[in-house]
Amino acid sequence: MITELATTMIKMPSIDYLAILPVLILIGGAVLIMAITAMVPGGLRRDVATAMTVTTALAALISSLVEWHRVLVQGATTTIAHAIVMDGFSVFMAIAVSSCVILASLIGHDYLKREDISSAEYLILALISAAGAVLMASANDLVVIFLALEILSIALYVLVAFNPRRAESGEAALKYFILGGFSSAVFVYGIALTYGATGTTNLTQIVDFLGQNTAQHPGLLYAGLGLMIVGFAFKVAAVPFHFWTPDVYQGAPSPVTGFMAAVAKIGGFAALLRVLLSAFGTQAATWQPIIYALAVASLLLGALLMVVQRDVKRMMAYSSINHAGFILLGVEAATTRGVQAALYYLFAYAIMTVGVFGVITLVSGNGDRDTDIASYRGLLRRSPLLGACLVVLLLAQAGAPFTTGLFAKLGVLSAAVSVGSWPLALIAMVSAVISGFAYLRLTLISVRPVGAPTDVDELGVETGVSAPMHHLGATLMLEEELPTEVEIAHVGVSPVALTGVTLAAAFTIIFGIVPGPLLSLAHAATMSLLG
Amino acid sequence: MTSLLATTVAIPDVIVFAAGAVMIMIGALGVITSRNPVHAALSLILTLFGIAVLFIEQQADFLAAVQVIVYAGAIVVLFLFVIMFLGVDRNEDLDAEPLAGQRSMAFVIVLMAVGAIIALGAEAHWVVGPHSVSGVPGGPYQNVYNLGRSVFTTYLFAFEATAALLVIAVVGAVVLARRSGAANAEQPDGQPENEEVAS
Amino acid sequence: MIHFAPVMLFFPLLGFLVLVTFGRRMGEKASGTIATVAIGLSFVAALITFLGLLGQSNREVTENLYTWIPVGSLHVNIALLVDPLSITMCLFVTFISALIHLYSTGYMHGERDATKFFVYLNLFVFSMLVLVLGNNLLLTFVGWEGVGVCSYWLVSYYFDKDAAASAGKKAFIYNRVGDVGLLLAMFLIFDKTGTLNYLDIFGHLGSFTTLAATMAVLALMLAAAGKSAQIPLFNWLPDAMEGPTPVSALIHAATMVTAGVYLLCRMNPLLSLSPDGRVVIAIIGGATAFVAATIGTSQRDIKKVLAFSTVSQIGFMVLAVGTGAYVAAIFLMICHAFYKALLFLGSGSVIHGLHGEQDIDRMGALRKFMPITFATFLIGWLAIAGVPPFASFWSKGDVLDSVYRHYPALWVLGIITAILTAYYMSRLFFLVFTGKARFDEPAADGRPAIHDPHESPKVMTIPLVVLAVGTLLVAGIDLPWMHAHTLKAFLEPVFTTNLYDPNESSGLQIILAAVDAIMAVIGIAVAWVAWRNGPDRPKLEPKFLANVWYWDNFYDAIIGRPGQRLAQEAARADVAVIDGAVMGAAAVVTKRAQALRRIQTGQVRHYALFIAAGLVAILVFLLVKAFHP
Repeated sequence: MITELATTMIKMPSIDYLAILPVLILIGGAVLIMAITAMVPGGLRRDVATAMTVTTALAALISSLVEWHRVLVQGATTTIAHAIVMDGFSVFMAIAVSSCVILASLIGHDYLKREDISSAEYLILALISAAGAVLMASANDLVVIFLALEILSIALYVLVAFNPRRAESGEAALKYFILGGFSSAVFVYGIALTYGATGTTNLTQIVDFLGQNTAQHPGLLYAGLGLMIVGFAFKVAAVPFHFWTPDVYQGAPSPVTGFMAAVAKIGGFAALLRVLLSAFGTQAATWQPIIYALAVASLLLGALLMVVQRDVKRMMAYSSINHAGFILLGVEAATTRGVQAALYYLFAYAIMTVGVFGVITLVSGNGDRDTDIASYRGLLRRSPLLGACLVVLLLAQAGAPFTTGLFAKLGVLSAAVSVGSWPLALIAMVSAVISGFAYLRLTLISVRPVGAPTDVDELGVETGVSAPMHHLGATLMLEEELPTEVEIAHVGVSPVALTGVTLAAAFTIIFGIVPGPLLSLAHAATMSLLG
Repeated sequence: MTSLLATTVAIPDVIVFAAGAVMIMIGALGVITSRNPVHAALSLILTLFGIAVLFIEQQADFLAAVQVIVYAGAIVVLFLFVIMFLGVDRNEDLDAEPLAGQRSMAFVIVLMAVGAIIALGAEAHWVVGPHSVSGVPGGPYQNVYNLGRSVFTTYLFAFEATAALLVIAVVGAVVLARRSGAANAEQPDGQPENEEVAS
Repeated sequence: MIHFAPVMLFFPLLGFLVLVTFGRRMGEKASGTIATVAIGLSFVAALITFLGLLGQSNREVTENLYTWIPVGSLHVNIALLVDPLSITMCLFVTFISALIHLYSTGYMHGERDATKFFVYLNLFVFSMLVLVLGNNLLLTFVGWEGVGVCSYWLVSYYFDKDAAASAGKKAFIYNRVGDVGLLLAMFLIFDKTGTLNYLDIFGHLGSFTTLAATMAVLALMLAAAGKSAQIPLFNWLPDAMEGPTPVSALIHAATMVTAGVYLLCRMNPLLSLSPDGRVVIAIIGGATAFVAATIGTSQRDIKKVLAFSTVSQIGFMVLAVGTGAYVAAIFLMICHAFYKALLFLGSGSVIHGLHGEQDIDRMGALRKFMPITFATFLIGWLAIAGVPPFASFWSKGDVLDSVYRHYPALWVLGIITAILTAYYMSRLFFLVFTGKARFDEPAADGRPAIHDPHESPKVMTIPLVVLAVGTLLVAGIDLPWMHAHTLKAFLEPVFTTNLYDPNESSGLQIILAAVDAIMAVIGIAVAWVAWRNGPDRPKLEPKFLANVWYWDNFYDAIIGRPGQRLAQEAARADVAVIDGAVMGAAAVVTKRAQALRRIQTGQVRHYALFIAAGLVAILVFLLVKAFHP
């Protein structure tokens, strides 16, 4: 027996460490922080921990750039028994995720200090979670995608529960955990059925299989595909799998919400794009209608409910649902143009949303209490830089010119139009108009001076008995009197978090004025995904 | 390629499968309907045991053994330990129904989902192709060998990636455990505010 | 000298930046001066550019400033297109803006946040110039949105007034509907031609089928209807009169609202591909002109009358575009800018003198108290009424000539509208300036009597006089017997063969002109008989017209209320289903954990149920797909 085994020695697969370098760096950084925290008496100093995290993320970013160079020279390569792929797409996502980690850890720094929560664990979890997101983008095997998804998610569950003094935090984490577990089960069932239908979990081999075999009755494959889409749709908060979003976004500590909104969406969409376009590209006619329906529902529900929110975090939750709808527009197109637009949108959105939640973190004050839109009154006056950043980021989300938001929306819309999805593009435009209203409302509230008594009512609320002609104007607004006597808390702005927010706003503006580099990056990433 | 229903299956296989499936179902139902958490944990053992039966039915003896030892044995015992330790082994009130019609709707929807998946699978054509653990394992060591080969070749990276999950589990457990301590310290009356999370 | 084009943009932008940074510290007077000087310099730059253009044989110059979007198929430069059309627009926009800025320094004296007013105003002029000078649709869109936002801010300038706040919202929403049209048009055009650059689009017109062209034209018309207040989106404009009067004069009469007409003129080669689209445009224009004119006869607010008059006049411009008489449209636009700015500023002067009174019932006999305002308003009135030899007689005459030739039925409508125009303007004039003074006794509804109405300060009357002189002279830029040398000849290259050439026999032309003149006189005469002595003629102000054809109620019924209900339902569902959990969480410290748990598990179960339902929907779809591929 022994000899028989010896004759068939296991040959270990070759490993290209560069391909997993960003992941290794992120996890390594986390482990390093953990080890040092354990060894240093009294724990790691807060600013040292943040500095280490930023350094780690920067290192991951730089290693991604090295990868980028390699991809440009050699093209896409797979490694570790084809479980990992290094192509422009994965590198693009790694760059996006690393950037978000840098911003989020800067923003988180002040939050943790303010709430007096120990930093190290927060940063460790954020780094590992980010590693999960990067892995989702570079995985070439459904099993690895699933594991990466779990790495990303479980770290997020804990992060959401991170503030022990807020009951909402724990509650949100529990909801997220239960529903996340539910969707993961559905997802993994989808993997099992796909394996049953194709005999492999490797994406490349699935492509080969589907290329060589034309199933007469592809029911099993379809079932697997459908279940996996549900899993991804949950992660990216597409309607009707979005239910956790408002509660969790609101309940989670604000910097965590920003991090989660950005990184989970990047991870979810990265895997979704790779599975649908790369592995199931031949089945596009099957999954396109599903994505279409998800996009329509997300666009409309997100925009509509966004307008009636008073809580800013909740509003941004619906905004993220709306954005998911927009990105799905690009996915649905399933063309080079569409994927490129979706990638660009994803990157732009991630940075914007981290920035917005940075502002929310700073404005909300101790215990994340002041999240009502009335708390934003006169922000521009009270804290000009912070207010200006918020205005930029909100206008960008609305798709204003000279921000990344414009190209993002323009890209997905034109992609949808170019494949003839006229109705979808129209719906998206309508939803952009509706959600634009909510963004503009918050913008104007921030711009108006504190003293003006009815400044919130002016935009948000119809006051008094209105003449019929005013109804149309009131239609889209909050039908609720806002308190005019809201205490305007002093915004405690500290340089570290402000740096994070400013970087996000600067990114949004700079790449809105000079969109070339980012657009060509997205283009190259797309070419390597679709070949 | 052969259709799923057309595949000839030996009668004993069917019987073993049915037995395992029934065990899993009964156990799973027991987990969610038991009033007493201890009973729920015991039902879980039944489910995990049923899975072990299914492994055996597929001649994955090693996995079946691991399943029984690790899951049914160690993990559920740990669960029971915690339940007893925390003293939450009292009956839950499951009759209260905060959302009217929720259960019946859930039942219908789950039935529809399962029905749809079966309907989709029934007409599908199975693949007769190379599976990751290829061939019927014969001989005393083949099972372990194939598993090992799989773990160190095809799924090497997946295997390693679980390490990250373990790191999160450790850190998360520490954070959440400390968190409940902090929360209690904050509240002099010691009333647990969210014990679901803490447990 | 063409290189002066960017300078036009530079000064308003500089003014805006300076004011937004230092405005507060400088105070109202200094900021008003800076704003006015900035626009004045911009006008000078426009003038120099214009002269430079005159000296060129090729009068279509693109000034590339910066390559904005360089990637893939979308290639957008930030570049200015200086051609006869854009420079004509720039000239009158900057000229009138400068005057209105000057006027505002007097009118806004003592207002709260006057500095901010000038900030918005300068930003507006900048955006308007971007709109006009942009060499591609995207840049035009940027300006389009810019003017929209400024308009919105300025309409709700008195935001503590409910009406002003709602009017701002209304303007915003109506304009957004129009913006969807412009976006649609951009996508369609980009889809067909692969570019958004005007000159390149015109080079690729071959790829348009008639249907595609018609769709694009209709989308453009929707955009124009939003911005230029045409049916079905016209009724935001009268509400927009809640803004300060100089804003009404500048944005909601002279410049911004003509942007839609400008867009249609700019896209004239595309319009020429779609006869059906042009018919629709003509009908919309004619109908708007008529409807707004009828409404204008029954309004009692001095600014509302002028607002409906603006809608009506823009209707004429759109009508002209529909018949291919682009030059007539531009000519009318310029004349209208002068006399309507004059009338609005005059009305502002009246309102100022009467301490904020806007109801024409409460005016009368003001010619004794405000001689300069009276004299200038007189000129404006005659100009808009179409009395020869004043501006509107020539410009509206050109429009009607063209309409007569193309759509006789619309010509009849146009003639009726012309009578109505003369009638309602005369009504306004008589009620405000002649007859008996009605302001010196308290009104029935308790408004106090107004004593000592006074003439406005010099800084306000000077612009009035300048505009009055301008109104007298402006018709001279395109008189019918010298078409060859004036505006028409100048604009000809832009419109080339798309331009309708009125080659009626001069006999017919004279008859048509005589008809126009007679109609104007009839309108004035009827108004003289009816309104000379006072305002109590309820029969001449039917409720139907006073209530704007119940247009708002109609929208309210079909869109407003259902939409509101939808939003409310959504909000309620959100409160009941989703907020419940959060409320529960907020109460967690005080309430028992058991109660919370019930809420929590209930909610999560609910969510899980929806997720499962979504899953079933997808699976059922796939089931159908699998068996019916």
